[in-house]
Amino acid sequence: MADDAVPLPWKADVQAARRGDPSAFESLVRSVQRQVYGLALRLLQSEAEAAEISQEALLRAYQNLHRYDDSRPFDLWVLAITRNLCLDLLRRRTKVRTEELEPMKEVLPSGEASQEEGAIAREERQSLEEAMATLSVDDREVLALYYVQKRTTKEIAQILGCAPGTIMARLFRAREKLRKKMTTEEAPR
Amino acid sequence: MSAHLCPDLEVLFAELEEGEGPALDHAAECEACAAVLEDHRLLEKDLYRLADPLPPPTLVASVMARVAAEPVPQRREVWSGLAILMTSLVGGLGYLVLNDQALSRLGTGVASFVVEGRLFAEGVLSGARALWSTEGLAVAAILAFLLVTSLAGLKRLAGSAPTPSEA
Repeated sequence: MADDAVPLPWKADVQAARRGDPSAFESLVRSVQRQVYGLALRLLQSEAEAAEISQEALLRAYQNLHRYDDSRPFDLWVLAITRNLCLDLLRRRTKVRTEELEPMKEVLPSGEASQEEGAIAREERQSLEEAMATLSVDDREVLALYYVQKRTTKEIAQILGCAPGTIMARLFRAREKLRKKMTTEEAPR
Repeated sequence: MSAHLCPDLEVLFAELEEGEGPALDHAAECEACAAVLEDHRLLEKDLYRLADPLPPPTLVASVMARVAAEPVPQRREVWSGLAILMTSLVGGLGYLVLNDQALSRLGTGVASFVVEGRLFAEGVLSGARALWSTEGLAVAAILAFLLVTSLAGLKRLAGSAPTPSEA
């Protein structure tokens, strides 16, 4: 079978971590921390909350390691936990705190190519980040997972717990909203 | 081409993913659709350039500090299993001790098992003796052997079933 040949790089670390090897779990944390924090920050739009939720998600992963099915990708499992915690927190919020959008300008544009890029490209990316920040949580999560984390629609469906067929439609709607926002931003210039 | 004949954007982008289709063919000749596709291409190019921000440098240390205070996951599993077992045992024993009727029913049950167990064993022995005298045992053994080998053969033909996680 073709599936038998798929390597499972996280499996050894997961098994060692289950037996109580902290360095194995640390290695797992290091491998997913950027994706976990990135998703949390895009959903919550607050550095402090994103750091707190990332910690909580990784701790929950450790506490539930004996329930984790290690034939599934570890990162997708942790991202699903992160997403659920973020949504719980968002539900608890009584109102939208728009003032938190401001720090995003400094936090999010962190692409590796930033030094080589000119000021115009940086500005464009910043305006894209700002436009993205105004979208709904549903739109932001699907765009972040597809374009920023370069996930396939099948992987996104696993994280969001929905049918893979719905992801393309959600992606289309989110992208269209973003495109319209970008167009209205550019129009007065 | 006039705008009212232009395809739905969702269809157009779905075909763009697949790389072919009538909507895409239309876009090759329609200026409006070609402009939409170009917009889309530029937006995707910009989106793909975005990257996840770096997490706080203290994140790993903070997580590991909290992990250090937690029990080992495997031991947690054993302890929860033992806790469930002990709870059900204590619950069962407690029910027996606190309820005279249940205790007397348990005694009656044990006594009747001892008495009826002898009768049951005698019945089984006489059945076996009857099978032996009519050579029925040999026939039953051959039939059982045939059944087991056929089932094993069928299982081999069907291949190994996927585990629940693979399914």
